[in-house]
Amino acid sequence: MSDLRTRKLRVALAGRLVLHDVSCSFHPGWTAIVGPNGAGKSTLLRALAGLIPLAGGSVRLDGQDIATLSPAGRARRIAWLAQQAPVSGELTVRETVRLGRLPHLGLFGSPTAKDERIVDDAMLTTECRDWQHRRLHELSGGERQRVMLARVLATEAPVLLLDEPTTHLDPPHQVALARLFKQLAASRTVVSVLHDLPLALHADRLLVLRRGAVQAAGSHDDPALHAALTASFDHAVRIEQRGARAVVLPQLED
Amino acid sequence: MSALPVVDAASDTAGTTAAFALTDAARRRRLAIALVVAAVLLIAAGLMVGSQGWSWSAFRADLADTQAGLILGEIRLPRTVGALMVGGLLGLSGAVAQGLFRNPLADPYLLGSAAGASFAVVLVLTAGSMSGHAIGFATAAWLARFGLVAAAFAGALAGVLLTLALARGAQEGVRLLLAGVVVGVVLGAASDLFTTVSPEALRGKQVFMLGSTGFLGWASVTMLGAGLALALPLGMRLSRALDALSLGDDSAASLGLDLPRIRMALVVLLAMCTGLAVSQSGLVAFVGLVAPHLVRRCAPAPHAYTLAASAGAGGVLLLAADVLARGLIAPQELPVGVLTALLGGGYLLWLLHRRRVA
Amino acid sequence: MMNLLIDSLPRWGRVGVRAWAVALKGLVCLRRRRPHPSPLPGGEGVLSRCIVLFAAMTAAATAHAQPIELRDDRGATYRFTAAPQRIVTLLPSITETVCALGACAKLVGTDRYSNWPASVLLLPKLGGLEDAQVERIVALRPDVVLAAKSARVIDRLEALGLRVVVVESQTHADVKRSAQLIATLLGRPQEAQRLWQEIERDMDRAAARVPAALRGKRVYFEVSSAPYAAGASSFIGETLARLKLGNIVPPALGPFPKLNPEYVVRARPDVVMASRIAVDSMAARPGWQTLAALHGHSCGFETQPYETLIRPGPRMGEAALLMADCLAGLESPR
Repeated sequence: MSDLRTRKLRVALAGRLVLHDVSCSFHPGWTAIVGPNGAGKSTLLRALAGLIPLAGGSVRLDGQDIATLSPAGRARRIAWLAQQAPVSGELTVRETVRLGRLPHLGLFGSPTAKDERIVDDAMLTTECRDWQHRRLHELSGGERQRVMLARVLATEAPVLLLDEPTTHLDPPHQVALARLFKQLAASRTVVSVLHDLPLALHADRLLVLRRGAVQAAGSHDDPALHAALTASFDHAVRIEQRGARAVVLPQLED
Repeated sequence: MSALPVVDAASDTAGTTAAFALTDAARRRRLAIALVVAAVLLIAAGLMVGSQGWSWSAFRADLADTQAGLILGEIRLPRTVGALMVGGLLGLSGAVAQGLFRNPLADPYLLGSAAGASFAVVLVLTAGSMSGHAIGFATAAWLARFGLVAAAFAGALAGVLLTLALARGAQEGVRLLLAGVVVGVVLGAASDLFTTVSPEALRGKQVFMLGSTGFLGWASVTMLGAGLALALPLGMRLSRALDALSLGDDSAASLGLDLPRIRMALVVLLAMCTGLAVSQSGLVAFVGLVAPHLVRRCAPAPHAYTLAASAGAGGVLLLAADVLARGLIAPQELPVGVLTALLGGGYLLWLLHRRRVA
Repeated sequence: MMNLLIDSLPRWGRVGVRAWAVALKGLVCLRRRRPHPSPLPGGEGVLSRCIVLFAAMTAAATAHAQPIELRDDRGATYRFTAAPQRIVTLLPSITETVCALGACAKLVGTDRYSNWPASVLLLPKLGGLEDAQVERIVALRPDVVLAAKSARVIDRLEALGLRVVVVESQTHADVKRSAQLIATLLGRPQEAQRLWQEIERDMDRAAARVPAALRGKRVYFEVSSAPYAAGASSFIGETLARLKLGNIVPPALGPFPKLNPEYVVRARPDVVMASRIAVDSMAARPGWQTLAALHGHSCGFETQPYETLIRPGPRMGEAALLMADCLAGLESPR
């Protein structure tokens, strides 16, 4: 119920083609999209979420073009987490997470006990239930990310698209979130755009993007993928396989 | 998930979060009660204050007067209730505008409704004063029958339509705001052009710009009431969308909201409420801006509560200004817009002062 | 050509040049005289012509140099060496006063709302009270600018070297004083007296025309739809008093108070006066349909006559006559 495929995806922003004929597929598990700045990673994620119009190609969820889905229908099956954005308004944590039920309740439905239970579970999973009555703008960046992740979980969507969820977080938070992704990926399709290469290499699969085109896609321990990765970063880093894990070494000396 | 680090040592315990929850609900309840009580008291004050100011003996005399039905029933009561309703519409629009644009400085006049209404008023007044000279009597008579009220309403809607056309739909917030500013400036210049030709239009426009609750009768109250009865439920229905919008446009869209349609619905709601309020009582400043701030300060809540409470706070604010306008220098009257600016502006200043101290 | 050049100089320059011209002409005449006291015919003719020319130039020069001293409504004193020839007015009532005193030809520019007499419509329009066009006013090189006290542009114009005489008219006494001030400025102080006498005459005629049945009745005069009323202490109120009519607004409330509409309903005026548009819309105001005055005892004035009524200037007599004519046409009160 959670196969996301793109076929010859083309996206233009401000008249410039940002994604060129991107064909890739995402299956249950954790896939990390990596690549240099300006590669179009966030744009790809937003196209997958159906948030931007396409200049060509299609995005299919389990064979069905997402453009044919209603907004609510799509929201029930694909959830998207923004990069950290400033938050306005006076919502509490619980009210924010409850917004995750919007795809199911619509504008008019009232939350039932089942909805409240789902909200509780989502908050427990991301360990933010203790602050459920605090306001969003009182929390730190890391805490807020956890709340937003809880909101995404509350939608019960089988596909989670996460745009740089660990940026601006310190290592303990990054590690905690990465552990959570692995846990969620067991039963869902998790796709995250990550800048942090060492963290990304913990994902099951990686997709390497450069200048709007796919350079490589493969498992995290695939040497061909490592080669493509170092090439896409202009050999600024070297990737070595050390035992079960790949290690990223920045190349400071020439 | 015990591997997650403890975020901060001051993490709330279950007891404290429960306390927070209680505080929130209690604050909302307290604000609601305060607004209702204030409204009741102000309605009573509105019935008492007339062209003789605050005088208990004068009020008793009025009650005994044969003219009581006229003075109290036809003049003071509809004016009081009308002021409450106009304030309610403005407060509601202000809350919608601030949620739609995610900007605490937004007011309901942003999308060209004020400029459109005042332009229409100037147009009708100029035509009236030039009847027989530049335009035919028949046209002038038709325009006179149309009336200033209808003209202001139509003008407000036309102003918003113009803004929507300029921004090509309600897709982007920033574009909409810019278009609103442009429309405001252009229509303002057009108004000025007409007022140079007709001093009568200039006088009428100045009266309109300051706002006035002086001529609210039962006909006005009926229309305002109908408008409020339609607008409040619609606003409540759209309140969850405003909550989602506070997370950001893309996040709101990813939650399944049809953003273009919802934004259009919000803009239409804004236009209708503002148009109705402005057509009945002119451009009253500050009510739409301050009412949501007051509510957020006293009882922060999701938009479902904030919209309704802002309507209440706006009504109370405008009615208080109206009562003061009537009572301070009776039988003369201060322009109600001056008092809303004083009350509203004063409150904002106090807020700023508090923030600096705290 | 010479005149244009001379006109382009400032005040002192012009006087200086004329003095020079006089001296030069005198010298030329003398030199003509000296060399040939000849028996040639026309010799004496030339001399007499020179003397006449010399005398005329001197007379003209001294006439130009007659000083005018006055004190305007700000309390500032001015000294004009001669009556101003180029005048800019920034208020309709001041324009009308200048023209009524016979100096219309000296106007070089007015504000945009001045529209009487018709010749004034052809003059350059220089903006309103709030937005007078400073650049254009300066470009017209006026000898004096006449403005009301509340004009924002006064300081700016004075900083640019123009002389601004402030004239303020709120009451009948003010109008009389202003007329005197402007007449003095124009160098025709006796004209003000004549003008005032005309106004007084018209007022008396108007008072005679008011039907006896309406004498003493109370009037509500609305100047703006807020509603602003003309109180007993305003010039309109004074005119009404001259017509032997009362006012529902007592002097204590000031000249133009913004009233609570309830006050008008309670006061039950016998006659209502306002612009026609306002009168037509009054019955729709809540509670106003009970005003007996709106059924046959209202005077709704068209735009042009209405402007005459609300300008405190030389046409006040005409305004009184307009009011009286309307009153004469009303049905007698029950």
